[in-house]
Parts: sequence; structure tokens; C-alpha cells
Amino acid sequence: MSNLKKDTPIDTVTAVAVDLTQDWGLDPGTKFASETLVAGDLGFTSIDIIQLCVALDQSYETRFGFQDLLMKDGSYIGDVSLGQFADFIASRLDAKGASA
Amino acid sequence: MSVRTLFIGMDGATFTVLDDLTKSANGGEPVMPFMARIYAEGSRAKLRSTPNPLTPPAWVSLMTGRGPGYHGVYDFIRAEEQGDDVYFTLYDARDCRVETIWSIASRQGKSVCALNFPFTAPPPSELNGVIVPGFIPWRHLRRNSYPENIYERVKAIPEFDPQELAWDFEREKQSVDELSDEDRENWVRYHLPREKQWFKVAEHLMREDRPDLMAILFDGVDKLQHQAWPYVDPNLQHGELSGFHQRMRELSLSYYRQLDGFIENLVKEAGPNVQVFFASDHGFTGSTEVVRINAWLAEKGYVHFKELPEGEAGKRRDSTNFAFLDWSKTTAYCRTPSSNGITIRVARKPGETGIDPKDYDKVRTQLIRDLEDLKDPETGERIISEIHTREDVFPGSAMDDAPDLQLVLRDFGFVSVRNLQPVVQPRDYVIGTHHPDGVFLAWGPGIEAGKVLGRRHITDVTSTLLYSLGLPVPSDLEGKVPTAMFTEDYRAKHPLEIGEATRGSVKEERGETMDAEERQQLMDQLQMLGYME
Repeated sequence: MSNLKKDTPIDTVTAVAVDLTQDWGLDPGTKFASETLVAGDLGFTSIDIIQLCVALDQSYETRFGFQDLLMKDGSYIGDVSLGQFADFIASRLDAKGASA
Repeated sequence: MSVRTLFIGMDGATFTVLDDLTKSANGGEPVMPFMARIYAEGSRAKLRSTPNPLTPPAWVSLMTGRGPGYHGVYDFIRAEEQGDDVYFTLYDARDCRVETIWSIASRQGKSVCALNFPFTAPPPSELNGVIVPGFIPWRHLRRNSYPENIYERVKAIPEFDPQELAWDFEREKQSVDELSDEDRENWVRYHLPREKQWFKVAEHLMREDRPDLMAILFDGVDKLQHQAWPYVDPNLQHGELSGFHQRMRELSLSYYRQLDGFIENLVKEAGPNVQVFFASDHGFTGSTEVVRINAWLAEKGYVHFKELPEGEAGKRRDSTNFAFLDWSKTTAYCRTPSSNGITIRVARKPGETGIDPKDYDKVRTQLIRDLEDLKDPETGERIISEIHTREDVFPGSAMDDAPDLQLVLRDFGFVSVRNLQPVVQPRDYVIGTHHPDGVFLAWGPGIEAGKVLGRRHITDVTSTLLYSLGLPVPSDLEGKVPTAMFTEDYRAKHPLEIGEATRGSVKEERGETMDAEERQQLMDQLQMLGYME
């Protein structure tokens, strides 16, 4: 499994999402951008989101604790964009004092 | 290069069934003729599983040679109390705190190929060989397989179909409270092509890679037996059998017949010098009653159920099979049916609810007495035949994650956590459940012929495979090599060597949690497998 970590969190998140979905038969024109919603645009189910989180953890060789992104007031939020994943990672890296 | 050691896992295989299927039927050929040859020419023993004979702790013990008290994997789901709710996470390979056989063999220069084993995903970052994990949906097989190019190689196998091969939540979500006859039949049919897919992958990779250690798990044995136990248990084939019963039996036997053919082909492909080992993570038996353990604990004052919301929301919540409890009052409860365990809530920090730590021993002693008091009103027999403290059955560095008490029901069934009455209720029909004794067989050059050994332990399998590979057995493995399984001549030429300890892996904090939908999917699947009421 190659490490898909790129220079910026959004590039990493995008690369991981592209890699994760390559066998899914998505429309070839599917956009992977900051505003792309993982459930709404890419068809992620909850287990796919878990796998995305694991893949991002592995890329950065850490555990980010994505429940803080995916849950609000004790409930899971409806959908998340790739940009939100990237912002969350950036904030966690900042908090650790590490560079992305 | 030749394959030195072939390991064939058969999830849930039991001698109760194998003994029957290896006998000649009405003077004809047995259902499993090749396995009959293994019986005659090899050695075998019952294999005692982990204290909770369940796929996650048992397979991880088999792959590590350590008990759950060290490897730390106790269940499918790990529950964490957070505030007023319990959050659920899925265990994965990162939760295993000790080194696996794949790593032990690999770092000593042996090549390995491990197919369809649970808790091998995500794969390690370095390995001398191949891992294609089990219990992973097809959409995530590529990322969770090792090395990087392996998925492309597997995809190129003629007739390869990842959707047919992989564990698929959606496909198995058809489960309902009680399966109709048609659904049961479909469930068995579903596993016939699945096993064929794994067989084709194993045959292909063994032929091309010739790994030193080739390992494949056929998990359909367990899946089939959960739903088809009345049709495969030889003790239940008497009297007048319905047409459906006979059809289901024949369908089930076709599964074992097919499996026997796969095994024979894999053994042939491995070559004449291979030593072959077979093991299951647990055995099987029939469960005849539902035991609603949290309802019993509620009667005794440990569990306090929360009032369910009105209407559909309440019905949905009730059907999730997760305890909906008042945490301010609950002191001991069972988290998941598959755990068969009781967790005592201890208030360790100011503001936390639960018992005072200084009362732990007193509360646990009383709790054991109260659990012993659950008895059959007609016979006086205890419903919970064994109650173990975690110090007794899960000693080790990961003991703190274990349930405080591990239960064994008199029929070996899994408990229910639902708020229903009566506490103990006979089932409408017998369902398959896990028995603590699985199977362990060996065959090939250097293996004693026709020998039946005394019962071994599941952790012995790791040591045995390492010995067969010609590697030293790490000094910290709990399992022992059953030397009587090997001929005197073989032992003289291959003295058993105890080597340096394993290299541990550090457990990290878990991040991801499951949402309600995924929890429900998992519950559906566990229900299908017979872990749920």
C-alpha cells in the first residue's frame, strides 16, 4: 500500500479518495475537489467513511480521532466534504505543531 | 521453491460434523473423501478455543499464539462509554497488541501468503509475502491488501469477482428477526461461490508465488452451520424429516463436498513435501434457549433500562440490540451479545457514575452469586454453567479491556441484551452456536499417521506452524508444539528450538466510531450469524 501523503492536506485527502474509489465504477467525470461531498457526490456509505478515515490515519501515520469531525452534539453529521476532512487534518496537525 | 507449510482454516469446524462426513455413507464414498484420508494418514486433536469462543479473539489468538489478555481483541465491537451514551468502534488489525505469525515468519526470511483471515486489515507496512484480508467489503479490498500490486494480480484471475468473494454488508443485510426457509436456503447457496472465489485465489497465488507458508481461511463453514445446524448435526437427522429439511441437508452437504475438493486441490498444488495443518477457531453445537442477561441483571438491581422514546424511534432503538440504559444507576451490564461478558461500571474519576473502586471485590462477588442464582425452575440447573473472573481467563497486559466476568451458558449460546421477558425462553428451533472445542489436524511427511492426541489449545497452532517452517518458537508464545503429532524421526532431524521473544506492537488510541446505520448493519449481520436473539 503506497503512502499517498502529499504536500497539503487537501491534496492528500483527494489522492486517498481517488485511490479508495478506483474500483467502484464511478462516473469517469466525477470531480474530486474541496467541495465534493463524500456521501452525496461519491456515494460513500458509513463503512466507506470509516475506511477513508483509516486510510488518512495511515497516510499520516497517526490517529486523528475523526469522530470530532463526524459528530456534532452527540449525533453524526449528514455529509462531509473533502475540504472539511482536509481542514480537520490541518487543524490537528497545527495542534500537534507538525507540518502537513 | 516448494510450499513448506500449508494451513487451512475452517471457521467453526467441529469433529461432530467432520467425523460424520468422513465416514462412508451407506457403504458408498464419504461426503468428504479427502478429509477421510487426512483422518487416516494424519494426526488430529480437539482444539480448545479462547474463553469466549468467538471469531475475533479466537482467530487473533491462533495468529499470534497469545491469549486475548495479551493481544487485546475481545469482540467484533469495542464499546466505549462517553458521557451519557456508549459509542461503538470496530476492532481492526491495529488493535492487536502482539506480533502475528505473518510478521514473525516474514522477518526471519520466510515468505507468507495469508488469505481471508479476519483482523489482517489494514495490512502491515512491511511483509515478505501477501495478505488479502477477510471480513472486508469488496470496495476496500485493494487498499487493505498487501503488497501494492496484489489486487491487480488477483483481479486478473479468470472469473474473479470481488463482490462474490468479499464480506458484503449490503448483500448480507437481508437478515431479519427470523429467517424464512427461502432465506435460509439462499444463505447457504450464497456461500458456495464465495468459497470457490477464495479457492481460486489461493490456487493461483500458491502456484505463482510458492510461499513457504500458505494460509487460507474458509469461513463458510461457520456461516453455514449457524443457519443450517439442524441439517448438519448428525444427531438431528433422525425421525421423520420434512422435504425442506432433506433439501437443506443435501445443499449443506454439497458445501462440504465442494470444500473437500478445494482442500484436495490445494494440497496437491502445494507439492509432495508439504506439511498440511487444519484448524478451526471454535467448534459448534446447538443452542436451545434465549437468555436475556440484562433483563436478569435488571431484576437484581444492576441494570436500569431507560424508557424508550415513543413511536417508531422507540421501536427502532429497541431493535438495535444495544442496551439502552440509565447510566446514572446502572452498575453492571452486558454490552454486546457476542461478548457473553459482564462489565462492572467503576467510577474512577470525580463525576463518573458507577460503583466506588473500593467496593469492586464485594460487588463482583455478589454479582457472581446473583448470576449463579439464574436457574432452570424445573430442574434447578444453573443456566450460566461457568462464570470466570477476568484475572482467571484474561491475565495479561490487555486485561483492562476485558469484561469483568466471562460467562458460559449451559447450551453454549450467546446472551441477549434486550429488555424482554421472560429471562430464559426456549427457542422455537435449534440454532447453531459456538462450542469451545474446535479441530486441529495435521498431515504430510513427518506427521504421525492415524493418531488422535489429547485436547490442544488454540495458541498451540502458531507454535506448530513455526516449527513446521523450521523456525524457532518465540519464548513468549503461550502455545506449545504438540510434538506427539510429529514422527520420532522428524523430531530427531528437526529439534524444537525456543527462540527470542516476539516483537510487540504498540496499541494506539482508536479514533473512528460507528454511526447508527453501520451499527445496525453489523447487528443485522451478527443476528444472521446467530449472535442475536
